[in-house]
Amino acid sequence: MIKNKAFPLIVLMLFAAGGAFAAKPAPAPAAITGLTAADMPYDVGNAAILRWPVDPAAAADTVYVVYSSSQPAAGWIETDRFAAAARTGKDIELPFWAWDGTAAEHAVKVELNNIFGEGVPGSVFQFKVSAVKGKLVIAESLPVSVTPVGNWFRLDRLNNLVLLIGLIVIFFWAVSHAKRKGLFIRRIAGLDAIDEAIGRATEMGKPIFYVPGIGGMSSISTIASAFILGEVSKKVAQYDSQIKVPHYDPIVMTVCKEVVKQSYMEAGRPDSYRDDLNFFVSQDQFSYAASVDGMISREKPAACFYMGYFMAESLLLAEVGATSGAIQIAGTDVEHQLPFFFTACDYTLIGEELYAAGAYLSKEPMLLSALKVQDFGKLVVMVSVFFGMILVALGAKLGWTGFVQGILHLFKGY
Amino acid sequence: MKFIKKQIPLIIVMVVGVLTLVSYYVPNKVSVDYIETMNKWENIVVAFAFLLGLISLFFSHYNKIKRKGDGWGYSLFVFVGFLAMVLPAYFSHGKQMTDAGLTPLGWSFKFIYNALSGTMFAVLAFYIVSTAYRSFRIKSMQAFVLFVAAFILILGKVPLGQIIWDGVLGWTGAGVNDVIEWIMQFPAVAGKRGIMIGISIGAIVTSLKIIFGIEKQYMGKD
Repeated sequence: MIKNKAFPLIVLMLFAAGGAFAAKPAPAPAAITGLTAADMPYDVGNAAILRWPVDPAAAADTVYVVYSSSQPAAGWIETDRFAAAARTGKDIELPFWAWDGTAAEHAVKVELNNIFGEGVPGSVFQFKVSAVKGKLVIAESLPVSVTPVGNWFRLDRLNNLVLLIGLIVIFFWAVSHAKRKGLFIRRIAGLDAIDEAIGRATEMGKPIFYVPGIGGMSSISTIASAFILGEVSKKVAQYDSQIKVPHYDPIVMTVCKEVVKQSYMEAGRPDSYRDDLNFFVSQDQFSYAASVDGMISREKPAACFYMGYFMAESLLLAEVGATSGAIQIAGTDVEHQLPFFFTACDYTLIGEELYAAGAYLSKEPMLLSALKVQDFGKLVVMVSVFFGMILVALGAKLGWTGFVQGILHLFKGY
Repeated sequence: MKFIKKQIPLIIVMVVGVLTLVSYYVPNKVSVDYIETMNKWENIVVAFAFLLGLISLFFSHYNKIKRKGDGWGYSLFVFVGFLAMVLPAYFSHGKQMTDAGLTPLGWSFKFIYNALSGTMFAVLAFYIVSTAYRSFRIKSMQAFVLFVAAFILILGKVPLGQIIWDGVLGWTGAGVNDVIEWIMQFPAVAGKRGIMIGISIGAIVTSLKIIFGIEKQYMGKD
């Protein structure tokens, strides 16, 4: 009897409990207000930037989740996730003249091409942000949309552009005021030794090896090397000596062939020119080094020139040249290869000396005047370093954080 | 004729140079596409130029063998090496590995090419030792400073050196690793940056000289 009464009572209680649960729904998430989406400035049109105010009351374990979609109010993809205190406007890597972000707002850059692939510029994208605590969504924003577009100017590179324009103005001023005489250029021992090296080769009746390195024709050091080759081969032609130019890059070989041919013609010795003075060896770094090393070991040249772009083969070449007893002159703009050349070669041109070599050897007034621009550039750097150092130290000492940041932005590359 | 031979190349250099320079400041897709197109063109030119290089290589070595010039036997290896890579590549359809294992091309790469490249790279270690010996001969004040810096670095990189340092100079309170870190972070970086600044400015000025046709030695003179 009791059993018969208890069963409906238990069922009733379960229903009542269920009703009680149903009557207490989960609290609706609060709203994240102030979310804006905009095209990321100064880019190709593949990114958007989301901004919303920082919530000072947000707990430390609150996490913001950014969703994006290429469809209206559907197809949300989790794009980013970060702690509530992170990712403010101050964290965006842009200078003060191109970005007005503050620590009072969140700023999140969304790289849309990484999520949606090609075709981002010009398409509409939706974004929303949720604040999550554990697994519970405690706040959510309304969706916002943006159409990323490609921009036409990198305002963040304005400092770079201003410096470049300054250099171009000085450049044209220096070139237009080129003087035939009276321009002092300090002596570069490595370049003065070229005559000595060629003379030695002529007296010994041995060849000269000119190694233009492993750079392509787009490398500045290779271009500078081609200028030097022109002057060296002209002297070789005048002395009726022999030059051999082994190449790593076939395009460089083609250009150098023209350069050497022209030099022989200018020296009045077109009959001495042979097409095989420049020859291709290999486009593999160590095969090239092994081949040139072999030639140097067998032929025992009187002089070796290493001018251009070099990597690990620099020491392989220079050491074999030193062992063979050749007078060696090197020049490169790869600063971490310079120590090897310093130790294994008789003379080394350091970076900018390599670039200046063409002007130094040819003695063309316009080219020599352009060297002034290099000096002006160095003066600008020296003055900037000196005053920048003082201002930053002063600003840091007096606690002028904004001022220090501003100075640092001025000299930073973006 | 002079216009075709001199002026047109200079105009091409200037237009391409200015456009490439401008594209650094213009992030638009137009400039990105322009750079991509130029890179594709460069690759095409490189492919054809490589053919020129190959012809140059074969002719110079063929002539050497024909003339029986000094060391002509080495020239034979150019052709042997070429065939040792090209024939397996042809028969393996350019694949180094299949389900059955190494293809002939893979075998050539692993047991010929990689072995030879590794040998050349290993030779570098011996050359570094002989170069270090040469640079350690103290002939001037600068060489002495270089020697001291290098000696401390070498000392700090081996456990025995660290023990010696601690035994002899431990009383100073400065560990050898601290000294190494200071050398690498301050004097070394200062010197390196000085060179890098000079190189960067030199590169900019050289580029301007080429773009604006001031430096045209690569085209020969009139």
